[in-house]
Amino acid sequence: MATLLEVKGLETQFFTQDGVVHAVNGISYTLDEGETLAIVGESGCGKSVGVMSLIRLIPIPPGKVVAGEVWFDGKDLLKLSDDEIRQVRGNRIAMIFQDPMTSLNPVLTIGKQLTEAMQLHLGMDKEQARKRAVELLELVGIPGADKRLDEYPHQFSGGMRQRVMIAMGLSCNPQLLIADEPTTALDVTIQAQIVDLVKELKEKIGMAIIWITHDLGVVAGIAERVIVMYAGLIVEEAEVHDLYGKPLHPYTLGLLKSMPRLDLGKDAKLIPIEGLPPDLVDFPEGCPFAARCKYRVDRCFTENPPIEYVTPTHRVACWRWEAVHEELKANGGSHD
Amino acid sequence: MLQFIVRRILWAIPVLLAVTFFTFALVRAIPGGPFDFAGDRSLPPSVVANLEAKYHLSDPLWQQFCSYLIGDTVCRPGDDSGRASKGVLLGDLGPSFRYRGRTVNDIIATALPISFQLGMMAMMLGIGIGIPFGVLAALKHNTWIDYSATLVAILGVSVSNVVLGPVLIWFFALKLGWFPVATWAAEPLFSGIADKYIAASEQIPMWVNIIPKPTVDFFMHAALPVFALGTALSATIARMTRGSLLQVIREDYIRTARSKGLRERAVVVRHALKNSLIPVVTILGPMFAGVLTGTFVIELIFAIPGLGRHFVNSIGNRDYPVVLGTTLLYGVAIVIANMLVDITYAWLDPRVRLE
Repeated sequence: MATLLEVKGLETQFFTQDGVVHAVNGISYTLDEGETLAIVGESGCGKSVGVMSLIRLIPIPPGKVVAGEVWFDGKDLLKLSDDEIRQVRGNRIAMIFQDPMTSLNPVLTIGKQLTEAMQLHLGMDKEQARKRAVELLELVGIPGADKRLDEYPHQFSGGMRQRVMIAMGLSCNPQLLIADEPTTALDVTIQAQIVDLVKELKEKIGMAIIWITHDLGVVAGIAERVIVMYAGLIVEEAEVHDLYGKPLHPYTLGLLKSMPRLDLGKDAKLIPIEGLPPDLVDFPEGCPFAARCKYRVDRCFTENPPIEYVTPTHRVACWRWEAVHEELKANGGSHD
Repeated sequence: MLQFIVRRILWAIPVLLAVTFFTFALVRAIPGGPFDFAGDRSLPPSVVANLEAKYHLSDPLWQQFCSYLIGDTVCRPGDDSGRASKGVLLGDLGPSFRYRGRTVNDIIATALPISFQLGMMAMMLGIGIGIPFGVLAALKHNTWIDYSATLVAILGVSVSNVVLGPVLIWFFALKLGWFPVATWAAEPLFSGIADKYIAASEQIPMWVNIIPKPTVDFFMHAALPVFALGTALSATIARMTRGSLLQVIREDYIRTARSKGLRERAVVVRHALKNSLIPVVTILGPMFAGVLTGTFVIELIFAIPGLGRHFVNSIGNRDYPVVLGTTLLYGVAIVIANMLVDITYAWLDPRVRLE
């Protein structure tokens, strides 16, 4: 598969009154055409800022992409003019957001919000755009589409609004859809519906997806490859079954252990990761996870481990990944 | 919609009745009476007694209130003085105690159109300057444009018209001689036409006077007072617009609009402006009511014979019917303005239903 997106050394910072917040600290990854990549990590680890930096949706000021390259379709998105990046946004790369309750404009009809990108990017007139909007709403499973176009967001439920957001994202046939925690604000049954919907649409349309979440349960169902982020850094990247079966970073292991599982019986306890993520203003020397890590050694506090490939598809940023690996093998290859 | 308006009007009736009652009670509670002085001489007690009897001020208060409200024919049967009031409910606001031979309806009919013209032009100027500058300041947030617009707005809010008015007169009227110093010069636009249809004996209805003939003289006279009043209003409107737009621009749906690749202009005009006008409209309502019914300071400084001075002078004069009449008029204006505000809400925000 051809590479669709290549991110190199992306660094984003926010210049606030309390100092410089190091939100994203030099991340690199690639994405193939039609691939689904999940980015996981806890709140504030830089997942959202990392993807919003790609299409320059970071509010400037206070935010700024201070270093890096984002290669998409032979161009570095960070070097495009404002006009050029606008032609990418919503057209080649579309984005759907976390909270469908607040992400739609309350005073405009769904139809207006759905058609404006098509009129802008595809040069459709009102009638054509409306016709396609009806098709899109049907595609994302909203019945009575023609009538519902004239309704306002408050007349839709949360799940329905997220379907509208997805329809909006797909309206210009993007090559890449960025989904920023699209299921987090929804209840579990609706979450499952939305995940299924996106999977189904991906099969039909074939766009690549970057799916951001903090829910490893959702990841397993949708992604082919997973990036784990911590404190603005990629700490581990692997194919999805490798990440669940053979996690190498103590943080990934911690995330997996803190996940509720149906197959372990009701007496199984969740094991939380103790402590808090580091302060992104006063960034620690050494590994940012060291203070919370069971496997740490002295070196972890002085030197931040670089991310290195352990197998051709699995990379990790940890001095002690072998110890994690050995322990898991001793436990019969399971992290339970 | 129609149902909403009807309901609002029905609701206004008890409100206005309460306003009438409390104003009546309060104004009578002030010590002194309308005939204590004539000029700077005090009147002999016998004359005062005569005058009070003429205007029924010696009657019991409940009877005075009753006849003010529903008219002399009901509450004061047998009055054959020929000056029987029809009562407020039928639109008769009674005679003025100070302006002999003039009724409160007369005073309002001549003064209100002038205040209305001044207020309307000032509001248009205020909105016309205030909203664009507020938007500009918000879009150029934390740049010199924002800071200078904010500075001007703060100046506009804090420099009183008592200062601004005379400064304008001194500079533009006296030094440069561009505009007349004071007074108002409105001729009714429809006077010629209306005369044909209104019999000479009949009083010219107020609406004829409201729309002025757009003469050069009219606008020259209006320029300075409208500018003074309009800039003061625009300062408040601009500050409100800026604050509100800055809040809206941080909303998630604005990010969504940007993620679609819309131009910043389209993002602001199509997605942000409508939302941000909701709080602005809230202050425009009472502002409208206040300005259209007359502004004391501006009208005084520019010697404009509007309604503003009657609000203030009538209290000093103990001219009870004028106090009541102007207060009621203001009450009606507030009720109508708030109704218009609510209708505007419904137009701006589909979540608001007029029920």
